[in-house]
Formats: sequence, structure tokens, C-alpha cells
Amino acid sequence: MIADPTYRLPARRRTELGLIVLAILLTAGLYILASLGKAGSLPANIGPFLAIVCGLLLVAHLGMRKLAPYADPILLPSVALLNGVGYVFIARLDRHLAGLQAFWTAMGIGAFLATLLVVRRARDLERYRYIFALLGIGLLLMPLLPVVGQNINGARLWIRLGSVNFQPGELAKIALAIFFASYMAERSELLAQGTLKIGRFLLIDPKYIAPVVMAWALSLAIFTFENDLGSSFLFFALFISMLWISTGRNGYLFLGGGLFVAGAAMALKVIGHTKARVDVWLNPWTKFNTTGYQIAQAQFALAAGSVFGDGPGQGSPQRIPEVATDFIFAAIAEELGLFGAAAVLTAFLLIVGTGLRIAVRCDRPFEKLLATGLSLIIGVQVFVIIGGVTRIIPLTGITLPWVSYGGSSLIANYILLGLLLRISNDTSAPEMVTVGSADATVAT
Amino acid sequence: MNRQIRIAGIGVIVLFLLLFFQINYLQVVRASSLDHNHLNSRLALAKFTTKRGDIISADGVILAHSVPTSDSLKWLRTYPTNDLFGQVTGYVSFTYGLEGAERTFDADLTGANSPLQLPHSLRDLTVKQDKSQTVTLTLSNKLQQLAKTQLGSRKGAVVALDPSTGAILALWSNPSFDPNPLAVHDQNAVRSYWQAENANPDQPLLAASFRRRFFPGSTFKTITASAVFDKQPSLALKPYPTLSALPLPQTGGQSLRNFGGEVCGGLLPDLFRVSCNTGFAQIGIDLGGPALADEATSFGFDQTPPLDLPEVAQSFFPPGSSFVHDIPGLAKSAIGQQNVQAVPLSMALVASAIANGGVIMKPHILDRVSNSQGQVVRTYQPAPWITATSAATATQMTQLMVSVVQSGTGTSAQIPGIQVAGKTGTAQTGNNSIHAWFVCFAPATQPKVAVAVLVENQPATNEATGGAIAAPIAKAILQSALQGP
Repeated sequence: MIADPTYRLPARRRTELGLIVLAILLTAGLYILASLGKAGSLPANIGPFLAIVCGLLLVAHLGMRKLAPYADPILLPSVALLNGVGYVFIARLDRHLAGLQAFWTAMGIGAFLATLLVVRRARDLERYRYIFALLGIGLLLMPLLPVVGQNINGARLWIRLGSVNFQPGELAKIALAIFFASYMAERSELLAQGTLKIGRFLLIDPKYIAPVVMAWALSLAIFTFENDLGSSFLFFALFISMLWISTGRNGYLFLGGGLFVAGAAMALKVIGHTKARVDVWLNPWTKFNTTGYQIAQAQFALAAGSVFGDGPGQGSPQRIPEVATDFIFAAIAEELGLFGAAAVLTAFLLIVGTGLRIAVRCDRPFEKLLATGLSLIIGVQVFVIIGGVTRIIPLTGITLPWVSYGGSSLIANYILLGLLLRISNDTSAPEMVTVGSADATVAT
Repeated sequence: MNRQIRIAGIGVIVLFLLLFFQINYLQVVRASSLDHNHLNSRLALAKFTTKRGDIISADGVILAHSVPTSDSLKWLRTYPTNDLFGQVTGYVSFTYGLEGAERTFDADLTGANSPLQLPHSLRDLTVKQDKSQTVTLTLSNKLQQLAKTQLGSRKGAVVALDPSTGAILALWSNPSFDPNPLAVHDQNAVRSYWQAENANPDQPLLAASFRRRFFPGSTFKTITASAVFDKQPSLALKPYPTLSALPLPQTGGQSLRNFGGEVCGGLLPDLFRVSCNTGFAQIGIDLGGPALADEATSFGFDQTPPLDLPEVAQSFFPPGSSFVHDIPGLAKSAIGQQNVQAVPLSMALVASAIANGGVIMKPHILDRVSNSQGQVVRTYQPAPWITATSAATATQMTQLMVSVVQSGTGTSAQIPGIQVAGKTGTAQTGNNSIHAWFVCFAPATQPKVAVAVLVENQPATNEATGGAIAAPIAKAILQSALQGP
């Protein structure tokens, strides 16, 4: 691909390598501390562990050198650190899940490289917008199918493929983000201008507003039939904010807010378990023996951790049900304390901030919108789950990206990372490197 | 578009700040109140899942020991001496909490109060350190076992202490209880054992030695006699008439009779030696209520002895003013009847006051605390509690008490070659039985041990019965204690 003999690897990749080494050191140190804290001895498999961590990240890094040499150097190490910290806590909580998580991490990095390999230019995706739309909606509705659809913990979010349970909604959010970005990039003018005159008001033509209503209906449908408040909110927030960003019309924010309130009110009235969930959020203590137990234990775990934490392996986060998935943040906050919890938040903020910075630097609306959408997916998801665990908002079962246990979540978020880095590479690459692409001259 | 993206970025920052403030709120501001939330069993479980150090007797016998288990509580507390030290060590029960020395020295045993130690290695930083500490008591297994053997199946209590330091050497009451069944992790078994022990009319969970009160009977005459020297020395020279019964004023003809109709009288030493009720009742009337109540308070009545065990009972003597219109009550109180009630521990402290030149040292069972490396981190420092009487009075009282053992009601406490000072008590309980008492110390000139013995509900024939029943037990304890460990 790189024919120019004067080509030199950008300094960004050396920065990335250095940061990856730092992430490996932090992860390995934490892994050793957790084992010492829990069992009082060095982890028996520290050798294989280090080999796998180094191997996976080295492959990812070499892939970056080859496939996206000009991309941002911070994203991959930040994700590696979060993934590593998450793995250490999963291993500390449940050895069986840890083995699976290691497998899914390898698959995730595979998906990450495959994304970079297949998507050579982000703009190429724009062409397939309706395929992505269908793919997204299809994936979302898949759990509702008979046979493959699975109910787990009361939510119909899963499909069973052979012996593997998969949550297609995780992938759907990326497909829909691509669709939204390309749809809005093209129609932003139409969506921004009022074209229909009724009396003194200039309104947006209903045929352009229809997608908004459809997105709202879709998210409500997901919520109603799959019992997944978190994803439903995530889609809706993503759609509205992308619409607002593409048009610059604040009206969409108010419209979205209004629709959200209406939807929430309807859900509260019609769907019984929504009210139950809100009640638990407001007062988990009176329902301590039933529905409030998990969230109450999470509060106790955070309090037990206090500022400096109990120390890796020395707390008792296993008292929280489902701690390895939805509540992994509580385990981290307990054992690493306020400092560790704040560090995790900071890592996520760095990722979201970097993603948005990539978006700002993009020249074309599609990449701009896609990078924004992907970054906001991470940002909103982190807020929804950590906000739920810490009782800022009602709890909705959603994973903490790269940290929680979960195969579909890891793979989807690694694909998301690949897309962000692809966009970043597109915007930063000097033009002569992408010789052979006529469109490249458009970018400056 | 970039403007909107930047605003969105600010929006994300605001959301993350919300998260950051919330974790600060939960982990710092509310941390303590969440830790102590009644639904939060973390602290409680932490208490019960922490390794506790051993409790050992002065002569090195393990009284409480933690054994690792595979269940969620991680440690099982065991009491190898069973009921022998049950009322002293108490128990660690997940169901009923902590009791006895386990409660008093909880922070020592778990190491919660141990000073922060600098880590010696990386391991110290990362692995939970064994902070448990061993608590060594002043009680001797040998004396405790002897007290149990001597008392046998009879109900009662034996308290022995070192008068110069206040160190408790034996603290036995029968019946006692075995703490092991309360420390097991089977909550149902714990509950049924607890209920059975509470249903027992003899209340084994309520140690007679330091938590229950009895009529002290004639052992109280030690205080009445001290009051003579302290408040009205002239009475020591006053001969009291030889009587078998003392007519009581304000009663319209009732009288206070000597036990079994015996006849006695004379000067204070004679009255004390034979434990003359009529004489001492008159002394009480002569002293007056306030003087006698004041003396009782000086000896620690109506105050809680600062023993390092939970829920120590107070001995009771009525307020001096209550006798103004109750001269018969005063007369009876002067001989340890009526409203006077004494805890065996208090009577041992009364003996120790005489033995220690009038000063009662703080009674204690703690000798020292040592860490898991065997280094002593804390040693109990003896300290005076109260001054009961003057050194001069103590000397005179010692002579009186020596005469009791030499030729009075307490001759069965005589030890060849060692001068024993003592006072018998035959407290009438009202239903044809008596509490047999003996309080004593030895050697009389350089006291090393003070003992109080109570044997409950014994049949009685005369004033010397208390001495006859209780003094041999005290004698055995004194002999063994003076032999050394």
C-alpha cells in the first residue's frame, strides 16, 4: 500500500506504543495485586496472562501501523486500559467468566482489525445507508423472533446461535449510527428549514420529520417488547442529538425532550415494571429483600470503598448480584476507591472527548456526524449505566463499554473503536499516501 | 455543525461531572452513614469474618481461639475450657453479638486499635495483614479450676484477686455456661441454646460473681467495724451488753435475735470475732444511718466497680437519710441484712481494701495484649480506684479479721504457717436457708491474695455455719494462690 520510499511512520504510532506499554503495565500490576489481595499469592497464570495481553495488543498495534498509521494515538491505549481493568475485575470475581471474556476480547480485537481492513475509507459506508438501516432494525428485532430469541433476566435482548448467546442490539446501535449519519448528512438542509407554512409558523414538512417520529416509535417498541429501557434511551438520545447537530436547530432538542417525557409518562402508566424500577430507584431500602437488593448492595460497596478503596481483591463486591456485567463499576469503586472510579470516568471522558475532536476535524458532514454519533454512544452508555449504579437515574441494564463482561458488547465496541480510528486516519492522513483515490483531493 | 459538536462535548462533560459528584457523594459524604445503614451487613460481617486473637489465662491456657472454616464467616470461635471461663471470655455470636472479654477487648483481639505499622515488604502492602492480637488475662486456669472443684455442684461464686494491683485471679460462679454453642454458625442451634440458657432459673448467663447481688450478712460487719474506727472511735471502747436478742425501737416490742438464740456481747473485737448480731446492730444504731451509708459508699457500695467486663452490677446500701424513721432497718443493715445487697466481686474488693492499707485498686482481668509476632503492645497499669478507709483503720481491721480465723467463726480457714485474715457471713434469706460467705486475705501482714466466697442457699444451724461452709473453699484458694502458679 505504501509505495513511497520516503515514507516514515508517523510519530503518533510511537506515542501509541508507549501508551500501550503503560496500559499493559497498569493491567498486569492490577492483576498481580488482585491475586495477592484475594489469595495472598502471585497469580499462577501470570506468564500466559502477560503473553496474551501483550500479544493481543501488539497485534492491534501492528494492525494500526499497517491499516491506519495516521489515526489518533490515544484511543487504542485508553480502550486497552479499560478492557484490562475490566478483565482483572472479572477474573477476580469469576474465573469462568474471565476465560470467556479473554476469548471475547480476542474476538473483539479481531473485529477491530477486520473493521479497519474492510472499511478502507469511512465515506465508503455512506453508500450503504439503507443496508445499514435494514441491518440495524433487523438486528434490533431479532430477539423477538421465535426460536432464536431468548429471554434473560426478564429482558428479551438475546439471540441464541448454537451455544452462544448474543445481544444483537449492541451491533444495531453502530449500524443505526451509520444510517443516521448518512441520512442526516444528506438531508440536513431540508431538516433544518421550515418548508410548510401554517398561519404565521414555518414548520418542517411532515415527510422530513417522519424519521424522527419513527425513531421514537422504534425506541418505544424496543422498550415495550424487549424490556430494555437503557438501549431504548440510548437510541433515542443518539438520534435526537445527531439530528440537532446536523441541523443546528434547537427545536429538535425540545421536540426530543418532549417526546421523551411523553414516552416515559406513557411507559410509567402502561407498563408496570417501569414504575417498579422507578420506585426502586427512589427508595431501594424499603425493597431491600427483593428488587432493591442489588442497587442497595452497590451503594454499600461504593461506601465501603470510600476514597482509597479496599484494595484489589480485598473487598467483597461479590455481594452484588450481576456484578461482573451491569455492576462492574461498583466493584471497581469498592476496591480501587474514589480514585479508581474517577480514573475510569476520566478514561471514558478522554475517549469521548477524543472522538468528538476527531469529529470536529472532519471535513465532510457524514464522517463528522458518524464520529459524533459513535462518541456519543459511548458517552451516553457510560452515563446511563454508571448513573444507574450510583442512583442518579433509574437503573437500566446496559454494559459499561469494554469493561463489563459480555461478548456482543466487546465486539460491537471494538468495531466502534475501529470506525472512529478509521475516520481519524482519514482526516489526518496526508493526501499523497492515499494515492489512487480520486476523492482524496476533496479533503484539505 | 462544529458548534453543536462542541456543545455536545460540554454536555458530555456535564454528565460526567454529575457522575463524579455522585461518586464523591456516595464514597465520601455518605460513606459513613451507608456503612452503618441497618441493612448493611458488611461491617457486621467484617467483624465476624476477621481473625481474632486468642484469649489466654495467666498460666498460659488457651481460653478462646479462632479456627478457620470454609463457610462465609471464615472463622469459628472456640472455647477449649468450655464453661470454666464462659462468664469471663463471653462469646462471639453472629446471632447475639459479643459478650464478656470478647466484647471488652474486641478492638484488641481483632487488632482494630493496633497502631498502623509501616509495611516491611510489598506483601505487607497488598495482603491483608494478620492484625489479630492475643489478650492475656490475669485469671489463672489453676485457681479457676480449683474454685470450680471446691464449689462443686453448689451454687455460688468465688472471686480472688491481688489486693495490691486489683488483678482478678479467679472469677467463678456456678452455674456457668459453655460459650461454644453460642459461637457456632448454625443460627437455629444458637437460638435454641440461647433460649434454653435464658429459661434456666439459675441464670447461668448472668454471672453470680459480678452481675448478681446477695445479702452479704455478717461479712458486712467488716464495713460496720471500719465505720467505728473512721466515724466514731469511742464506740470501739464501749462494752456492749451480752444478749441473745436486741429489742428494736420503733417496732412495738420486736427484737433482733442472734442466730440460733446464741448469747454474745462485749467490746468490738469480741463482737467481731464471734460475729455478734445484737452487738453490731446496736453499733449500727449508735453510728447512725448517714455514717454507716457513708462508710459503705467508701468501700464501693452504690458504685460500679471499674472491672473490664461488661455490665458489672453495683452493690447496694440504702441512703443514710432513709434510716431516720427506720432504726430497725438501720440495725439490720449494720449486719448486712434488710436492704443491703452485695455482689461477690464487691465483697472481695472490701477484703482487698483492708489488705491494701485502705485503698481499693481498680479490679481488672487484662494483663497484656501482644501482637501476632508475640511482641507485647500493651500492658495493664494498676491504678487505685477508691480509698475505702485509712491505713490505720485497715491495720486495726486486719487484727480483727485475723482473730476471726484464729479463734472466731472462721477457724476453718486456718493455714499452717500463714496468717489468714477473714470474716464469715451467714446471710438469712428468709426461707430457712442461708447464703454462706467468707471474705479473707493472706498473708495478713503482706497480703498477696484476697478472696470472697459465696455459697447460696445452704441449711443453717448457727452463726458459724457460713464460715464452716465457705471458709474451707477460700482456704483452698488462698493456699493454691500463695503457692504460686
